[in-house]
Amino acid sequence: MKIGIPRGMNYYNYYPFWHGFFTWLGIEPVLSAKTTKKTISDGSRIVVPETCLPVKIYMGHVLDLIDNKKIDVLYIPSHQSIAPKIYNCSKIRGLPDLVRNVVKRNFLLIEPTLDKSEKNQGLYQYLYDSVAPLGITDKKLIKKASKAGWECQNKFNAMLRSGMNLNDAIDKIIKGDFSVETQEEKKKYSVNVAVISHGYNLYDNRVSMGIFDKLEKLDAKAYAPENLSVEQMEKGYSVLDTTLYWANENEMTGAAGYYMVDNNIDGIITLTSFGCGPDSIMIERITRFARRYNKPLLNLTVDEHTGEAGFITRLEAFTDMLLRRKRETIIKSLSKQFGEQKEQKLSQNQTVS
Amino acid sequence: MPKSESEKERIISFPQMGSLYIPVCAALEAMGAKITLPPPNNKKTLSIGARYSPESICLPYKLNLGNYIQALEQGANTIIMFQAPGTCRLGNYAKIAELKLKELGYDFEMIVFDLYKGKFKEIIKKFNRATGNKSVAKALKGIKIGLAKFNALDKIERELLYLRPREIISGEAQKTYIKGRMLIQQAKTVEEASQAVNQTMLEYKKIIIDKSKDVLKIFLTGEFFVLLDTFVNMDIEKELGILGVEVDRQIMLSEWASQTLIPKWLRKKETHKERCVKTAKKYLTRIVGGECVESVGDAVYAAEKKVDGVIHVAPFNCIPEIISQCILPQVSKKEHIPVISLLMDEHTGKAGLITRLEAFVDLMRRNKQQQTANLALSGSV
Ligand code: SF4
Ligand code: SF4
Repeated sequence: MKIGIPRGMNYYNYYPFWHGFFTWLGIEPVLSAKTTKKTISDGSRIVVPETCLPVKIYMGHVLDLIDNKKIDVLYIPSHQSIAPKIYNCSKIRGLPDLVRNVVKRNFLLIEPTLDKSEKNQGLYQYLYDSVAPLGITDKKLIKKASKAGWECQNKFNAMLRSGMNLNDAIDKIIKGDFSVETQEEKKKYSVNVAVISHGYNLYDNRVSMGIFDKLEKLDAKAYAPENLSVEQMEKGYSVLDTTLYWANENEMTGAAGYYMVDNNIDGIITLTSFGCGPDSIMIERITRFARRYNKPLLNLTVDEHTGEAGFITRLEAFTDMLLRRKRETIIKSLSKQFGEQKEQKLSQNQTVS
Repeated sequence: MPKSESEKERIISFPQMGSLYIPVCAALEAMGAKITLPPPNNKKTLSIGARYSPESICLPYKLNLGNYIQALEQGANTIIMFQAPGTCRLGNYAKIAELKLKELGYDFEMIVFDLYKGKFKEIIKKFNRATGNKSVAKALKGIKIGLAKFNALDKIERELLYLRPREIISGEAQKTYIKGRMLIQQAKTVEEASQAVNQTMLEYKKIIIDKSKDVLKIFLTGEFFVLLDTFVNMDIEKELGILGVEVDRQIMLSEWASQTLIPKWLRKKETHKERCVKTAKKYLTRIVGGECVESVGDAVYAAEKKVDGVIHVAPFNCIPEIISQCILPQVSKKEHIPVISLLMDEHTGKAGLITRLEAFVDLMRRNKQQQTANLALSGSV
């Protein structure tokens, strides 16, 4: 039995779990191909233009699974809330409903709902609804499968914390390679930058324009929200004087707050999709506090028309600025030190004489 | 003895949205509050609000912020905000607005009414805090007069919606309505409010209407704020009236007030939202925040009720309504009912809006003729 999983939205957060879970039950997860220009244009065609880029892309992946991969069972969960009153953005909440209405094809839609604000929509109900339409209703079996899911997810999280790129980590999980080596610092970079965004933006190279490679070429080391632990991100909220409101806020406000006061980080880049409501609010706060903390910040907004050239120019200008700033502080502190040494010498001389 | 900061006389203000200020002022005043009202929403409010707002934030936030600034400039020192998590961004509007206003140097206290699941006690508590009122009797009196005014306003508004497309001399009903609204605003007691309604109804009776006129009937639905604020919706109901269309607006202020204030077990009839959850099922099975389920549910219900069309309004960039916009064409096709989505932002021009409305009215007329023709045909066979 095969189940299609679109390579978009929550795929970037939970695929390892789904992979372990479905595989254990003998269901083969099939992923759509990586995002291409065509994925974006196909997806854009079936939703209204105001829809944000990641959702357009998601629709493109749904079409790819049905039209090209000939899959007729699709797994499209709705993640309403992750804790009482902590909701996701409407588009994430209503993702299956959107698909049902705009994708005019014949397929079986598997649409479990995770809603921690409701009594009966917890994880086990969610998992039950994930496989019951396929005829699997043995709760004990489902529970065991969820253990397999967690095993993958936990390993995945450990890989991310070790500094591994998210896409590499997913590949490893799929291959069944669970080894986590701590990444050795092979190279000294001239600047360190934190890149703040949702997984579905950051790790889809069509959206982020391969920002990690680009930074690497600019001799900047990128730090991502995924490298942080939940506790670290929770610390970030108090730095920005706020509390968690959105279900997908950790990777934005939390991570930005953490990196804001991390002296190792020379600057912060945020990447958001044009017209994203939740992000616009979070970015407002991040911007305000970056000013307060005197942390250089670059806000990048992307949509399907964003050109690569402009993107590179802005990255270059930013990393250049960071480097200049870094040099200046070094010179300043050196000259201060130098000045102090001179004074010390003077006073020594005086005592001698 | 010098008065401490907290004992300073409170001057309260709150955001503008349509006629909301009338019942809210009544309730607050009955509890002894001193109020300063920002001007009704207008271009200036919007431009002030927009200047200090994140760019891609939705229109209601920008206007709220503009209201606050205008009110603080007028001397307000306490501002009230309503919020409800789970209903989209509105939930953390208050926090960012407060931060921004403090940054701009204003000194005030913000009192947030959390309407999550409609807790009556919470509301009274907050009202007391805002007004310094300590008597329960006064608080109840305040709420009672407030609710009475909500109802009164709805009554004269419903009649206005009926008369507008049918009156012989355009604009008469509007004039009577504005007078009636003034009377309701001035009413000091529940009785006076109902007298104001009676008087207005008598005035309405004098208006000559064309009873036999074939008016089109539409449901107006969509995002709450746009539905209820005539500045934001560019007085769409009036424009439709002129085009000979009777508007059945799906969210009325009084329903909203009782829906949020009165606990579930005390309610007798199904609320608007409950109805929508039911009718939307075929298309939307989840509540996803904002008024998405209302927009979809109303459109389906409109088809059931065989009205001539649905006009869906929303702020540009409103997240939940983007989902509605994606779903509504499907409803339109499957339920055979004309539906149009109109998005409002600071750049929407009135001329453009009217052109679209005219085109939509034409479409509904043709659709209706076609249907009657079809009926006649099937009847003759
Ligand atoms: S959070 Fe933003 S980017 Fe993500 S789905 Fe919602 S609107 Fe789109
Ligand atoms: S429902 Fe729409 S208008 Fe209301 S807060 Fe949300 S995005 Fe803004």
